[in-house]
Amino acid sequence: MRRIQSMVSTSSADFRCNEAHNRALARAFREKQEAARHLRPQRDLERLAKQGKMRPRERIEKLLDPGTPFLELSSLAANMAYGGESPSASSIVGIGVVSGREVIVRADDPTIKGGAWYPLTAKKIVRALDIAMENRLPVVHLCDSAGGFLPLQSDVFPDRHMAGRIFRNQSILSKMGVKQLALVFGHCTAGGAYIPGLSDYNVIVRGTGAVFLGGPPLVRAATGEDVTVEELGGADMHTSVSGTCDYPASSEDEAIHIGREIVAQWDRPRKWDCQREAPEDPAYDPQEIYGILPDDIKKQFDMREIIARIVDGSRFHEYQPNYGGTLVCGFANIWGFKVGVLANNGVLFNDSSLKGAHFIELCNQNNTPLVFLQNITGYMIGREYERRGITKDGAKMIMAQSCSHVPKFTIMCNGSFGAGNYGMCGRAFDGRLLLTWPNHQIGVMGGDQAANTLTEVKLNQMKRIGAEIDQGELDRVWEETRKAYQEQLSAYYSTSELWDDGIIDPVDTRNALGIAISASLNAPPGEAGYGVFRF
Amino acid sequence: MGFKVSVDGRSHDIEIVSRRPHLIVRIEGRDHEVSAAGTLDDGRQTIEISGALLHFTRAHAGDRQIVRLNGRTFETGILDPRSQAAGAGGGLDHVRAPMPGCVVCVHKRPGDQVARGETLVTIESMKLQTALLAPRDGRIAELLRQTGENFEKDEVIVRLEAAMDGD
Amino acid sequence: MTTRVDPNKAAKSPLAIPFRKVLVANRGEIACRIIRTLRELGIASVAIHHLAEVRARHARMADEAVEIFGDTPVAAHLDGEQIIEAARKSGADAIHPGYGFLSENARFAAAVAAAGLTFIGPDARTIELMGDKISARNFAQAHGVPVAPSVMPTGDMAAFIAAAETIGFPILIKAAAGGGGKGMSIVRSASELAEAARIASSEAQRYFGDGRVYAELYVERPRHVEVQILGDGEGAAIHLFERECSVQRRFQKIIEEAPAANLSSDLRDRICQSAVRLAAAARYRNAGTVEFILGADGRYFFLEMNTRLQVEHPVTEMITGLDLVRIQIEIAAGHGLPLKQEEVAAFGHAIECRICAEDPARDFMPETGKIRYLGIPEASFIRFENALDTGQKITADFDSMLGKLVVHGADRLEAISRSIAALHELAVLGVRTNIDYLAKALDYVAFRQGELHTGFVDEHSAALAPGEADAATRDAVLIAAALGFREFRDVAFGVPEPHATIGRWRN
Repeated sequence: MRRIQSMVSTSSADFRCNEAHNRALARAFREKQEAARHLRPQRDLERLAKQGKMRPRERIEKLLDPGTPFLELSSLAANMAYGGESPSASSIVGIGVVSGREVIVRADDPTIKGGAWYPLTAKKIVRALDIAMENRLPVVHLCDSAGGFLPLQSDVFPDRHMAGRIFRNQSILSKMGVKQLALVFGHCTAGGAYIPGLSDYNVIVRGTGAVFLGGPPLVRAATGEDVTVEELGGADMHTSVSGTCDYPASSEDEAIHIGREIVAQWDRPRKWDCQREAPEDPAYDPQEIYGILPDDIKKQFDMREIIARIVDGSRFHEYQPNYGGTLVCGFANIWGFKVGVLANNGVLFNDSSLKGAHFIELCNQNNTPLVFLQNITGYMIGREYERRGITKDGAKMIMAQSCSHVPKFTIMCNGSFGAGNYGMCGRAFDGRLLLTWPNHQIGVMGGDQAANTLTEVKLNQMKRIGAEIDQGELDRVWEETRKAYQEQLSAYYSTSELWDDGIIDPVDTRNALGIAISASLNAPPGEAGYGVFRF
Repeated sequence: MGFKVSVDGRSHDIEIVSRRPHLIVRIEGRDHEVSAAGTLDDGRQTIEISGALLHFTRAHAGDRQIVRLNGRTFETGILDPRSQAAGAGGGLDHVRAPMPGCVVCVHKRPGDQVARGETLVTIESMKLQTALLAPRDGRIAELLRQTGENFEKDEVIVRLEAAMDGD
Repeated sequence: MTTRVDPNKAAKSPLAIPFRKVLVANRGEIACRIIRTLRELGIASVAIHHLAEVRARHARMADEAVEIFGDTPVAAHLDGEQIIEAARKSGADAIHPGYGFLSENARFAAAVAAAGLTFIGPDARTIELMGDKISARNFAQAHGVPVAPSVMPTGDMAAFIAAAETIGFPILIKAAAGGGGKGMSIVRSASELAEAARIASSEAQRYFGDGRVYAELYVERPRHVEVQILGDGEGAAIHLFERECSVQRRFQKIIEEAPAANLSSDLRDRICQSAVRLAAAARYRNAGTVEFILGADGRYFFLEMNTRLQVEHPVTEMITGLDLVRIQIEIAAGHGLPLKQEEVAAFGHAIECRICAEDPARDFMPETGKIRYLGIPEASFIRFENALDTGQKITADFDSMLGKLVVHGADRLEAISRSIAALHELAVLGVRTNIDYLAKALDYVAFRQGELHTGFVDEHSAALAPGEADAATRDAVLIAAALGFREFRDVAFGVPEPHATIGRWRN
């Protein structure tokens, strides 16, 4: 495969401008992430220390094999919710290696309101287990939670994909033969008790771990019975009397070591064969991505330049290079894994939609995972294109993509607007992983466009009722719309709501994809087949 | 997360830093690249550390490993992280009856120092005699049942004095 | 066993040996060594063993193995009656006693003969003569062999002590009936004499059943030089040169060499002639060794005569090309001396290191364990006489010697470097040994320069102590050990790709 020949001049003024802009965005992202990961009230940290507990990230570091990567997902979940009270949605989720096996690690964060589950916490945990099911990844739960965050219980408890879904997912995972281990470091109360309860293996720390459907206060209120935490649901009772817990541990360290030993007993998975070659670092420096992404979302750039800084050796076998130029399609390797890349260089036309659909079919035929690099404002609209069947062609691309049986991964590189999001494997399309860059924006349409549209609607309304044209009102509508969209378009909003699996620094994309692709191969390919293509 | 390997009684930490292109380990802040790792087997071995070949001979003896290199013989061991983390076995203060039965013979008195695994009490249950053993080193605090007395399952028969750090 | 071709011997035809079967009244490496020669001569071998050694190498090597009984394994090997009975029952014609155990027990030798079997060794009366250190000494003196000024025991301990003081200090107190360092001590002043004599006497009583001790002038920094002799029992005797055994610990030899280091040929001749004179005068039959103390001034004194094959006989074999066990059998078969004195030639230099299960760092205290790995160097110039098997338990049942590493070189320096290399290659893992200590001792400048005396080990104990391993060695050991632990290897090598290559990365 030939290397992509970069046309970017790293000394140009544009490049330098972009670089400064994107480095600042990356820096801001990392600062926000650091704060979400580590900034906690001193009082909460002291309480933890007094209880003899480790911080959740310490537990994770001890759990993971030394010298191995950890891909953390949704580190900025809930960053724009609950007044910032629940950094990372009080939960840490990631893909790591424990005793030589790829696992999902999911940890409660007792340094935030005792680890109570906010609505987005439940959503994040459900997503973690969805990922486990789709990729057949075993799960290690590090449990330490006070239970549901009661003030918001109506958003945590009742609906289909809320907390109950966690336990449903656990049961299905177990049915699938995908193992779960729970390490109980703190309280597992009420629903939370079902996490160790539904895990195939669990370990409980004596003195701090406890499992009960109702804690002592609830028991006292309900039946008048007076009982201590240890007696009600402590390690010794559950490991020797009730049999709810499997292994007692006298310290968190011991619990983690027992956990590692348990995982070491699990049989190594049979991984699906996908074509793999020796990996090669990109020929171009991934840091150059900062200079390639424009500082203005309306400015165009060539996605091939991005591809060249993500794939092995910058080698790319472009498919239909002369046709459908607004969609770049081709084969490449990422960390040695052969993948099919689809990347946007503008709006999708008929030809690029057809090319995309065809290329997706080729990848399914070839058992090649798909990587979507999104920068899409939408499909082309207008009379000529409708006559040519742009709706049909867009539908064909969506059909091919939705029905794909190979794993799909999406990186939102710059913009994801409207129907373009659909064809290019947005959230609704069950990609194994969806990550966004800090500069990314997502919405049904851009902020300016929305403001213009709503202002026009207001204007038409005024005209219709024959009122005087109030420019101030129009300006206000324009401003407010734009402001609202601005907030809700940003990657931070998207990640806060868990519309994605996390923001990452663009330079981390290659490692993230390598880990994700490797993880996805634990599940066998689905059934090949498509619905009806409207030709 | 490092490993604790003891050499002639002294414990040292050895950490895995990275694995490619070669294994790199860290000992007391010093990094070493291991480009050839030999095998687990006993006998003559050759490994390569930081580009230099190292010939040595090894023999496993139960949990210990004897390593002979540079004209010296060392006795090494690796600390099982579970037992290290488990500490002194605190919490093992109570010796409970595994099933209902009666006491046949009490072998110790309060105040006696006992070693882990020592028989404290012989009990009889379902026509079978069993020994209740000390779960750890310690001192007998109390014997709650005497010869001839009955007990239920899980009843505490012997209590040890609370283990102190370093016991 | 390396058999160097002696051009003289090759011409002669093999001698007829009337023994069809020989019982080896010993164990361990010497039993294996004797059985090896018996095999070469086509003679059947019978091994004796205590139950504790039913799977021992010597028992497996022999054509037959007979169990002997006793409260302890050592006691069984000291039960002469039982052994003779075992020989008779198995149809053996002769008994080879090896060294130690009953090899210098005159009563046993006599009983063997009385039972109609051949005792492969000297006559009982010679054993008795030389077995009593005092009578041996008197005999030597009477036949012109130099002896150290000494005082013999009388019944009167006080008189003995008074007389001992007249010799002058330092004095060596020795057991009349014993050897091997037991019942022996150096006394440097009159005030210590009484107590030392008392202790030596009680030790001698305990080990040899005979509490008589005698006192002898102690030569400072003495060298231990001994001469291998062969006698035909009719008054003829030859020597096979000398050996130096000065490097000792607890009065036991740990390094021996042939020929002695830095010995003028004149002095060598005189010492060897003294030995021959003694053997001839005693009408010695078979192989024996005359031991001398050699002082720095060149004066030498008779120490004792060992009426048996010595532990360190291989160094003599390696420089002369002779098989001493074979010669013993031939002499016992009535064939007289194998060579004329002028036919005996020596070439090169040989060193023997006694490999013992002990801890040099703790005053050479005996150690026990189990042999987990055995790695033996092989070369035409190396012999490792041993009876070791992987998995063998090293217990306190017998003495601590595990084997003998014997190395030949064209000259002393080559023998030293080859020995050091062989010691480095020799691996006996699972029990502490003195292998590394021996390598260090051989490499030490005083040894290389031949500055040997029986206080060598004590004098250089600080220099030969292992010392702290430096950080580099410690790191190497840690890495080598870690790579031998499953737990470490699992984590080090059990991580899949691409994670192993990505390494410790966090987003």
